[in-house]
Amino acid sequence: MNVIEIKNLTKTYGKARGISDISFSVEEGEIFGFIGPNGAGKSTTIRTLLSLIYPTSGSATIFGKDTVQFAPEIKKEIGYLPSEVFYYDNMKVKDLLNYSASFYKKDCSKRIRELAEIMDLDLNKKIDDLSLGNKKKVGIVQGLLHEPKLIILDEPTSGLDPLMQQKFFELLEEENRKGATILFSSHILTEVQRLCNRVAIIKEGKIVTVEKISTLKENTYKKFKVETKSTLDPNYFNLAGVNKLEVKDNLTSFLFKGNINEVMRKIADIEITNLWIEEPDLEEIFMHYYEKEA
Amino acid sequence: MNIFLKELKSHRKSLVFWSIGVFLMVVSGMFKYESLSSSGQPMNEMLEGMPKSMLAVLGIGEFDISTATGYYGLLFIYLLLMATIHAAMLGATIIAKEERDKTSEFLFVKPVSRNGIITAKLAAAFVNILILNIVTFVSSLVLVGKYSNGEVVTGDIVVTMAGMFILQLLFMVIGSSLAAVKRKSKTAASLATGVLLLTYVISVAIDLNENIEGFKYFTPFKYFEAKNVMFGGGFEFTFVLLSGVLIAALTVVTFIFYKKRDLNV
Repeated sequence: MNVIEIKNLTKTYGKARGISDISFSVEEGEIFGFIGPNGAGKSTTIRTLLSLIYPTSGSATIFGKDTVQFAPEIKKEIGYLPSEVFYYDNMKVKDLLNYSASFYKKDCSKRIRELAEIMDLDLNKKIDDLSLGNKKKVGIVQGLLHEPKLIILDEPTSGLDPLMQQKFFELLEEENRKGATILFSSHILTEVQRLCNRVAIIKEGKIVTVEKISTLKENTYKKFKVETKSTLDPNYFNLAGVNKLEVKDNLTSFLFKGNINEVMRKIADIEITNLWIEEPDLEEIFMHYYEKEA
Repeated sequence: MNIFLKELKSHRKSLVFWSIGVFLMVVSGMFKYESLSSSGQPMNEMLEGMPKSMLAVLGIGEFDISTATGYYGLLFIYLLLMATIHAAMLGATIIAKEERDKTSEFLFVKPVSRNGIITAKLAAAFVNILILNIVTFVSSLVLVGKYSNGEVVTGDIVVTMAGMFILQLLFMVIGSSLAAVKRKSKTAASLATGVLLLTYVISVAIDLNENIEGFKYFTPFKYFEAKNVMFGGGFEFTFVLLSGVLIAALTVVTFIFYKKRDLNV
């Protein structure tokens, strides 16, 4: 069953911003990554799903119900963490969380305490006094306290230190094991890779591809940089799958896609002084998809 | 219910300040009356020497300010201005503040409809303006009564306060509808206050120039003027009806536009 189904969703506003003709679906029980650079349309898509803004054309369903028509009903089972958290300043953390809980017709007090403990959050502080990271923690607890079936996270890790990030990911995995579906938007590939089963890549308001992470990894380039004692023959790495080969004095660099062992054997045969193998960054994956389209 | 209570709580402080404000206005106004009436020089004589336009701008007009009720009629216009400014700003901010404070991504992802949110917010604003009205009413009743030397003031105060309440409601929904219609709703409060001042200036202009009396339908400040409701036979049906229609229409506008609009997130 699809928890989220987006069909030809278009939202234009202002000049060029917005999203156009977006379609993808998120299956029940999945952790689905939604990845793209800043301004690509991730937040616009999410805000349309939540009926904060309305689609120009196209539609989306959550739990099989139209997101505009049944907005209040489906929101009972959605937990949302916005990319920037802003709360009513004049409240204590405890009061804000209780206010949040008061919208759901169940007792959330036990869950609030549990989550606050996991995230190491002081419930008696005033929200004004909190640091950015701590505000984010309030957001996390606030998004999860009613044990939603669908968790939507928009750039959730910004402001969290690595330790908290780790705890947060464990928390999400736990929620996922209990049956929650998660839509995880980010511009950081590594965290998406760590957590998600599938991803949709968005650029400039359009979906470039929807892939399993495993497939995406197989299909992506690795960046190689080889430093040798003497200048290398440019043809030495002339293999299938090698791209953008550059030889600059003692430094040879290229992108490679395919069976990594072939390259490693080639490298083992020469005398090297240093070696870098890097995962391509997000931008390079986009380049890859854009080249393919062109 | 939770939104309603939250709104009441978050506007509590400002309501206290406004209440103190109107109370001090009544106190200082009636205090001045006392010193004027005891100074010996008949006030009416003094006023007769002033040009009519000056009197109109000051809001004195045709009041006999040597009597407590007449003086109260003069004071009323300032109370009305305060109460309507409060109402217009409240109506606008109570709707616009979620977007201004960027809390809309908190509130509007909760399982409540936008209509539900607006209903709760308008109800909270309604309670606020009602309380301010009651505070004004009680302050006036007590303080004017104190200086009235046996003159009966209760009836006059009741009708003016009833008129004021209708105008408070009207300006509240002017504020809320502006906040609902405008995508940049942050500016709604200043715009609503602008509308209010403009209509007030129109009402003064009408006092200065009888030729433009037809404009009185465009300025709520002409609907329930103290001189008419106190000394001229009470409420005019046309204006009660007009206010009712405007309040209803602007309430509907608030709901419809806010429901359809993209939130400014």
